Formats: sequence, structure tokens, C-alpha cells
Amino acid sequence: MSKLSFRARALDAAKPLPIYRNKDLPDLNDCVSINRAVPQMPTGMEKEEESEHHLQRAISAQSVFREKKENMVIPVPEAESNITYYDRLYKGELRIPKQLFHIQPLGLDNEQPDYDMDSEDEILLNRLNRKMEIKPIQFETMVDRLEKASTNQMVTITEAKLLLNEDDYLLKAVYDYWVRKRKNCRGPSLIPLIKLEKRDGSTNNDAYVAFRRRTEKMQTRKNRKNDEASYEKMLKLRREFSRTVTILEMIKRREKSKRELLHLTLEVVEKRYQMGDFTGEVLSEVTAPLAEKPVYTVPITVTNGNRHNHKAEIKIKSGGLPYHGYHHVSVKDEDPFDFVRPKKKYTRREPLCRPGRPAKRQHIVNKADIKQYDFHSSGEEDYPLSPTSEPDEENDPDGTFAFRRKAGCHYLAPCLDQTSGLLWDHPELAGLDALRHRQSLTALSVPQRCVGLARRRVGRGGRVLLDRASSDLDGVLKQLDSGVFSSSFPKGLSDPQVPTQNHRTMPGSASSLTDLLSNIQALRWRFFRPRSTQGDGSGEGRTGRPSMDNRLSGGLFVHTKNSGSGGITEEQYQVHQQALAQMQKQQLAQLQLKTAGSTDCIISKTLDSAGAHFAASAVISAPGQVNNENKPDNTSVNGVVQPLVESLPPHSTSTSQGGTGLDRSGRTPSSCGPLLPASHSTTPQSLPNHRGHGSAVSPAHHHHNARPSPSSLKLATMATSSLDRVPKVTPAISSMARDNHEPERLALNGISETTVPMEVT
Amino acid sequence: MYVHSPITPCARLCSQMTKMADSSVDVIEGCRLPVLRKNQENEDEWPLAEILSVKEIPGRKLYYVHYIDFNKRLDEWVTPERLDMKKLQFPKKEAKTPTKNGLPGSRPSSPEREVKRKAESVSLATQVSPATPVPSLPGLAEASQVSVYPAVRDTNTFNLKSNAHDDHEQLTSLTTVHQHFITFPLICFPRCANVYLPPGEDSQDSSDGIPSAPRMTGSLVSDRSHDDIVTRMKNIDCIELGRHRLKPWYFSPYPQELTTLPILYLCEFCLKYLKSLKCLQRHLTKCNLRHPPGNEIYRKGTISFFEIDGRKNKTYSQNLCLLAKCFLDHKTLYYDTDPFLFYVMTEYDSKGFHIVGYFSKEKESTEDYNVACILTLPPYQRRGYGKLLIEFSYELSKVEGKTGTPEKPLSDLGLLSYRSYWSQTILEILMDLKPDNGERPQITINEISEITSVKKEDVISTLQYLNLINYYKGQYILTLSEDIVEGHERAMQKRHLPIDPKCLHFTPKDWSKRGKW
Repeated sequence: MSKLSFRARALDAAKPLPIYRNKDLPDLNDCVSINRAVPQMPTGMEKEEESEHHLQRAISAQSVFREKKENMVIPVPEAESNITYYDRLYKGELRIPKQLFHIQPLGLDNEQPDYDMDSEDEILLNRLNRKMEIKPIQFETMVDRLEKASTNQMVTITEAKLLLNEDDYLLKAVYDYWVRKRKNCRGPSLIPLIKLEKRDGSTNNDAYVAFRRRTEKMQTRKNRKNDEASYEKMLKLRREFSRTVTILEMIKRREKSKRELLHLTLEVVEKRYQMGDFTGEVLSEVTAPLAEKPVYTVPITVTNGNRHNHKAEIKIKSGGLPYHGYHHVSVKDEDPFDFVRPKKKYTRREPLCRPGRPAKRQHIVNKADIKQYDFHSSGEEDYPLSPTSEPDEENDPDGTFAFRRKAGCHYLAPCLDQTSGLLWDHPELAGLDALRHRQSLTALSVPQRCVGLARRRVGRGGRVLLDRASSDLDGVLKQLDSGVFSSSFPKGLSDPQVPTQNHRTMPGSASSLTDLLSNIQALRWRFFRPRSTQGDGSGEGRTGRPSMDNRLSGGLFVHTKNSGSGGITEEQYQVHQQALAQMQKQQLAQLQLKTAGSTDCIISKTLDSAGAHFAASAVISAPGQVNNENKPDNTSVNGVVQPLVESLPPHSTSTSQGGTGLDRSGRTPSSCGPLLPASHSTTPQSLPNHRGHGSAVSPAHHHHNARPSPSSLKLATMATSSLDRVPKVTPAISSMARDNHEPERLALNGISETTVPMEVT
Repeated sequence: MYVHSPITPCARLCSQMTKMADSSVDVIEGCRLPVLRKNQENEDEWPLAEILSVKEIPGRKLYYVHYIDFNKRLDEWVTPERLDMKKLQFPKKEAKTPTKNGLPGSRPSSPEREVKRKAESVSLATQVSPATPVPSLPGLAEASQVSVYPAVRDTNTFNLKSNAHDDHEQLTSLTTVHQHFITFPLICFPRCANVYLPPGEDSQDSSDGIPSAPRMTGSLVSDRSHDDIVTRMKNIDCIELGRHRLKPWYFSPYPQELTTLPILYLCEFCLKYLKSLKCLQRHLTKCNLRHPPGNEIYRKGTISFFEIDGRKNKTYSQNLCLLAKCFLDHKTLYYDTDPFLFYVMTEYDSKGFHIVGYFSKEKESTEDYNVACILTLPPYQRRGYGKLLIEFSYELSKVEGKTGTPEKPLSDLGLLSYRSYWSQTILEILMDLKPDNGERPQITINEISEITSVKKEDVISTLQYLNLINYYKGQYILTLSEDIVEGHERAMQKRHLPIDPKCLHFTPKDWSKRGKW
């Protein structure tokens, strides 16, 4: 007993317990009293039942006798096992199979009626059987169907007729019997069924309702109060997850585009390598025009804030390969890109045809934007989440009038560093020149006259409004009215020398008609002339009209000398030229078939890969062929080097080889942007119709409006890759972009149907 | 030998409200009084009983009595002669025991407990009782059908009926004796007014205690607040299953229209319930099952086990549950059978595979339950089948590599069976341990648990129950006394039919990966 003074340790289930027989422990009695140290385990029974008399008796009997005594068992109601008719009831025998039973529980239904005939039914059946034969199973099936078809309301006789395909007499007899029996039935159905729960919960406490469905409730343990809060949290979580999914989806798209872009770049590089374009000359030729159409470029992606995703801009840091952009790009000076040739800089004065866009916005490509095109940085930035990139503070000192980027717009940086390229940097350009950099010389086609300097706006519904400005040129322009539209320019104005003129020597205040015209022709003046596309959809409609505008637009091109370029040799060029000329012929034939009888508009819309290719090749070759025919002096029309090489006198070839550096002329980007790619791509298309006068401009612009950047993007690919072979269309970028901008394209189509803008510097 | 004596709470009641038992007194629901019954030795005893229901059949009244401190399964309808009217106690007013409508009185053995009453139980009770007069039933027509088979006995002649006459005689003689005592009033009459509840009062508390739905896991209820008079009373008189006639022990929610039948017929193999022998006959022409409709996963000798998925084979599972409910007090059929597997043990003879017992098992148990409900059908009880079922359930757990325990609460028979199984299993291990190179054999509780798949707590409780755990010289030891050893050896000799794990063809399924059960 003294051992009770200490506390026994808790029983450890992991600790070995030595096993003793009682005889091994002489002092067993000493330890017995300690047993209570082990906590008593519950029996697992209900307290009230545990104290039941018979159980206690049985338990005590067991503990005393160590076995059950017959009279100590718990009494239970009797059961008997002497049903003598069993063998008659359960007929047949079952041999035990060798295999274990394997059953498909779903295959058990063998379409037997659930209703079982009782003796009352048997009486009826016997009665019926006097007149006709009816088997019990047949009767059961009938009742079964009737029962199962009736819910609270019993099946009517007409329904029963449909239900049971039986003889009328039999049906009537069974039906009547069934109705009678069912009315007397105390249960809800003649087939006794377990009561089912009712949805309204009224049966929740009905003892006879069994096997309720387990309602799918989210069961939170214990803290019921938190249910609502946690539910809200779950909702929030769900929302955030779905947002994550969206973002990941977008990233996936972006990365796809990047991969596409990488492939394209690779292809371009390969092509360039094959054609030996190590200096980037060819590339720059083909990319330059493409880079110059931000004005008409409809944003490629507007959604999701990652608007730059699909703009193809690549910087290739390694290998010293020149930067090229499929698009316009302008990079601030401090951008560490390794350009082989001088950077193109575009300056824009005004938006041209973007309704509602503030006039003074400048396009800034800051480093952050460029960085997006860096493949290595993909995924590291959070820009898919940021709605738009914020305007650069230093470029944006205007407070509330600060420049704000519009999603999907392209902006070009000012060429602040290009001192030589800016007209207003020169004092002699004050006054009129300041004016004419904001206005265009504008001519109307219907009352054929020149209205002088005007600025064109696109109003509601695509109407074109002209804001006129008065200048001291007005007098001269009046003279222009009569002459310009009736006759072609004097040959002298198209002197090959003109394009090569240095714009600095251009007279600051042109006062004579000749000067003006020559300025126009020399692309020193922008000239705009609206035209209805419907009116002259076919080239023939234009024959009667002087091709002044063509010449103007064509001629309004300044080629600046690029002394630093010229890496491609003439031999190399000729080889390509021949190949391309051949391809072009094929394309031409194709196009002629295609475009016969169709409008330019349609042509431009249906520009396919072949057309694109053709256009691309035409970039190089077409001017030489086309323009040489009629107006050899207009060879500069497309501003492309190669044609010039071919058509121009040798001395100009050398000067204009770096022809893509055109922006130096100080043209506003708005004008040069749209023009160049447009004319490139559409010149060949218009060939079938406009061969005679090479009036490529109208369709060019038209086309450009109708087909925004996607096509040009495609063209870029074409142009770069088609130098050797028929290009493979890479639809990923262009198609995606096209899809995104379908509505805008339509809108632009609308515009282009009323006017064909033509702006040149 | 049980000697009846009023138990303490009753004594208190007694002092308050015992009423003179004269013929004019109504014995109502909730009343307590000694009721004559025969014990196992066929001796008379007068345990205190509570009147749960009264019904009137032509000619006389019948009383449904629950013997206090006896299991509900012994509740029965008795004739007035068996009531000891002179010791009648009326229900305590505070207990709010209803008076007239056959509503629940106090719970067995807890007269003070307040029982929430539900309004609908009123309607149910009233609904049942008028139906009881047998002649009006369509089922009676079926009863006549029974006579086709001469062996069918009148159901009423079953159990105590044969003694009824004797009882009556005894009772009358007793009452005459008692009438002598009754001459001195035990209670003053004014108090009796309190005994009778005002008529309005029984509807008073019907609004409170609207029970919520029971938990959705498991198969047993321990919370009996849902109990009403309907579920406290057996509703099926007799079930015929194959060769057997079974007297149900508890309520089972068979279709209500079948509860008035003298015999409910079940198809032995598909367990479909039928109202008459004729219907069963007809059914058997269509039902060609000769074994439970599941996969046989064990067979040795004539014993087989069939596995039935409660979701895939609903009809059978439901029928099995309805039958089982007749013998399992705490079983709940509130929810569907989907989350359970049913393991039906059968014994083969030339007619087929006859159901002997079964246990159900949750497909996924969060509480280590390896058995939900377990039952040996009464005709097979006390023949070792229960132990076989339990053993089989642990064999399954061994295959699963888990320990398991039966779902609680256990019934009295369940507790005895499990204790017996655990004792035998653990003792077997302990006795088989041989001294290891001179060292005394030792074993941890965890080891026992791993070997047997019996949950650790059950191992400890068994060791405790067997009084094996002792504290000796600063540590716990297990001591095997002589009578324990002898008792075990005797038991092992009697034990036959062990489960042979080699005959088990069972691959556990991971139900959690199968989505919905």
C-alpha cells in the first residue's frame, strides 16, 4: 500500500511491456492497487445503455467465470427457423461455382415488373382467364406501368391506353380493378415503397423517411460564424485565380508572338547573310518605308495594356548586326543601339487622320518601351499588369496638358538631335516655312483648283475638313489653279537633279510658280489633293486627268545623300534584280487576272501573300520598270534605292543609295510614314490599271488606309525574306493584329472611300 | 436472479404520485409500474416498466411497455393483466410527459429528462393506432393466404402468448392480494389533480427543439433527441426471411402500410419486402438471385463474403439496411447508403448463399472506423458468426494497412462481442510470445495494434478490462493470471471457423481519389 505514495507514469504505447505469468510474481499483490493509474478507457457504449441490467449481469458473469454462462447471456427476442414450406417457395438448387462470384451491379435490371401480384389479384386473374388468357407477369407489368406513371394523380383511362398496349377489354378490366384497388390502398402506391424525402424539408423528422440524399453543403468545421467571411474569401480567391489565368493566357500570347518574332528575325538574318547584306543596307531599304507609317497604323493590340506586344521591334545586341525594325521605331539618342547607318528620325507635326487625337502629341519611345522587345527580359517585367506605360516625366513637363499615351498609338520621338534635319532650326525657314510645315498645299479635284495652304482634318463620319491658311503664296497658287491640273509639269521640273538638291539650299520663301512647283515636285512641299475613290476606281477614269498628283506625290520625295552607306555592290544588286524581275512578271500576270474589273479597294483588301510578295519585290524592282516607262524622271517616286540605281544616271545612284535615310529632309513623320509603305506595296497592284501613267499614289493611299500595319508587317517580312524566294507567310503576327483591328480598319475604309489623302513633304 | 425493487428516482416519484389502482384509473403513456415478464429461467419477475403506448383492440386494451434498465429490444405489448396496477406511478408533471396522444414520455431509465415532442408525432401516433385493428386490413386477406401453408402459426402465438393465460391467472390472483393493500390510500387525492395534465399543455412545448439534420458521416446516432414515440416502438411484428421468422428488436422504416401486417416477407436473397406470401411467391418467379448481388471476395468452406457498394447497388443496400435496422437500435437510415460498403457474410447450402450477417463500412472514414454497423442475424447469433464478422473486418484493415475500430456507440451485444474478440486476439499474441534468449518476452501496445489492426485505444481498454496491466518495480508490466490463461484456452477450443486470410481476395480502393464515393 505504501506504493500508492508515488504517481505512476502514464502508460506509453511505444514502450515494451514485459509479460509475466502470475506465478512468476510472488509479490503481485503489491502492484495490483496501482492499476488505477491507467486511465479507464470508455467502453464505447451509451451511458444509459451501459447500465442496463442484462449487460451488467453478463459482464460480471464473464469477469467472474471467464466464460459465458447460458443464463447470463443477454436475452433477445426469439427467432424461429422452421419454415417448412421453404423448399417449395425457393425452388431449384444452386451448385456452388468454382469461381468467386463477380457481379456487375448495373446489369441486374432485367426489366421485371416491381409489382408482385397478391392473392386478390389472383382472383381477378382467374376471372379474366375465363375469357382470355392473361399471364401473371403480364398483369404485373400492366399494374407496374400504371403505378409508375401515376404520381399523386392516378393515370386516366386514356393515358392508360397509351401506356398499355393491350386489348381494350383487358385494359378496361385491369384499369378499373387497379383504380379500385389503389383507392383502397393505404399506402401511396400499390408497390410498397420507402417514403422519400420532400424537398421542402417537411419530412426532416419523419421517422419513416429514409435514405435522404446527402445535400452537398460545404461543411466548415466548428466556427460556423466564419462561414460567411470564409465564403467571401473563397470568392475572392476564385476571382484572383481566374485573373491569374487570364494573365497567364496573355503572357502565353505574348511569348508566342515573341517566339514568332525571333523566328522572323532569324530568317531575316539568314536571308541577309545569304544575300550578303552585311552592312544592313538592303535591310534598311526595306525596313525604312515600313517604319514610316505610324500615322495610319492602327494599333495592333489595344487590349490588356500590353499594346506593344506585337510590334515587331528587335534589337540585336550581339553580332554587331544592325538594328532593324519591322515597324517604325525611333530611338532616343542615348539608346545604346549599334546602328550601322545613321538613325532614322521622324518628326511629326500633326496627326493626319486620327480623329480626336490631340495635335501636338509627340511620339516618344522610351527605354522602357524598347526594353519590352528585349527577348531576355520577357517575363521579368510586370508590364502585362500595368495598364499602359506612363509618360516619361522628363519629356512631359506640361502639367495637365501633359502628353498621355493613348493605348495602341504609335508615337515617334522628335529628332532633337538631328540638328541638320530640322527645318526650323534654320532661321531662313521662319515665316512661311513654319507655316508650310504645318500646312499642305492643297488642291481640290472637283472644282479643279488649288486652295493654297490648308490643313486637313477628318471630321465626323469621315468627312474631310480643310483648314485653310493664308500665306503670301496665295497669289502664286492662284496661277497654279489653271495650269496644274490641265497639263503635266514641264519636263524641266522633273529634272533628275532635283531630288538630289540639298534642301538647305531650297529657297526659304518661294514666290514664283515655277519655284513652287519645283518645290512640290522635289518633295519640299507637301501637297494634298483629296480624291474620290469611287469616282476613279478604275484606272481608266483617271486617264483624262492629269497625273499631276502622281507626279507630285511621286516627286515629292527628297533623297538625301548618304555618304556613309553603299555597302552593296552593283553586281550584287543586279543579280537580285534579275531574279526579282522574273518573279515580278509572274506576279504581275497573276495580278492582272485577279484585278481585272475589280476596284483598287478590293485589290488592296485581297492582298495575299503573293501580292505581298509581289509588293515586296516591287519595292525593289517596280519603279525601275514602271516609272521608267512613262516618267523616267520620276524614278524617285518610291524613294527606293534600287530603282534609282537602275533608272537614274550613275551619278545619282551613288548619292541615293542610302535612300532610306530620307527623314533627314525634315519631313514630318506623319507625311512620310504612310506614304512610303503604301506606295511600295500598291504600286505593283495598280500597275495593271495605271500602267500608262504610273499613278500609283491613289491606290497606294487607299490601300494603306484599308490595310493597316498588319499588312505592312507582313510586307516587311516579305520584303526582307522575299529577296530570294517566295516568302513564307507568317500569319501569327499579322493575322492577330488584323483580327484586333477589324473595326478600325472598316472605319478607315470608310474614310478612304471619300477621300484619298496624299501627303508629302 | 433479478429481484425487482423500485429504483431510487422511481421511489421519489412514487411518494408523490402513486395512485390507488382501481379499475377506473386510466393507465396512460408515461406511467410506470411493475410489469410481469418471464426471465430466461422462465421465472416470473416484476421489473418496473414504462407505458409507452396504449392501443385498444376489440375487447381489450394493450400496453406497450419498456422495462426500465432493460434493453429496448425486450419492449413489448402486454395485456392489462400483466400490469401491477397498485404500484402505478403517474408521469411527473415537470417531465411534461404528455397524456393522451401516445406521445413520448420520459426516456427509459431517465424519467426526469425532458423530452422534446414534435407535433407530427401526434399525427403519426393517431394514424397508427386506428389502423391496428386487424380485420380491416387488406393484409388480412393475405393472412388467410398463409393458411395455404399449414405450418404457419398464428403470429400472436409467438413468444409470451403461450404464457399469457398463466400470466393472467397469476396477475388476477396477485391483484386480489394487492387490493387488500390498496385499501389504505397512499396518496392524498388533491395531489392527484396535478397528475393529470391540462389538455392544452401537451401542445405547449412542441415548438421548441426543432432538430437539425443529423451528421452526414457514420451510420449510428448517439444523440437520441430525434427519438419520438414512433421510433421508440417496434413497428414490425415479424419478418420472414428464408427459413427464418425474426422478431424485430427495434423500429425500422419499412413502408408504413406494411407495418400493420402480421408478417413481413422478405426475399431471402435480394431482401425485397413483400406484404404477403403470395407476393413473395410471385417475386421469386422473377428474382433469380441466389446470393447477395455483389462480388464475392472471400470463400472458405461454406462461408462467403460479398462486397456491395452502397452507391452502385442501392436497392439491395437499402433493403439490407432496413432489415438491419430491425436489430440495431442506434443505426440511422436518415441518409442514403452511398458512402458505405456492405460486407455480407453468407453460408452456402444447395439453395444458395444465405445471409448470416453483415457489416457496413464507410468508404472513407475520418475516425479510423473500420466498421459502421455490424449484425449477425438473430437465428445465427451466439454461434461464433459475430466473431467471424469482426475478424473479417480486421482482416480487411490488415490488407489496407490500417488500424480500425468500430463506430460508436456500441450496443451491449456489440461491446461483448468486440471485447471477446479483442481479448482472444490479444491473449493469443501474448501467450505465443516466447522468451527471447532468456529474456522475458515483452511487447509494446503499438506492436499489438500493428499485428492485429486493432486500434491502440481498444488494445489498452482490453488489457485493462482483462486486468493485465500492472505497475511493478517502476514500470508497467503485463501479467497473465492462471484463470485468464485457462479461460483463453477454453475459448480457443470452442472457437471454430477462423477467417483464412489466404482466401480473401480483396484490394482496397482509394475512395478519396474516386471523387464521389
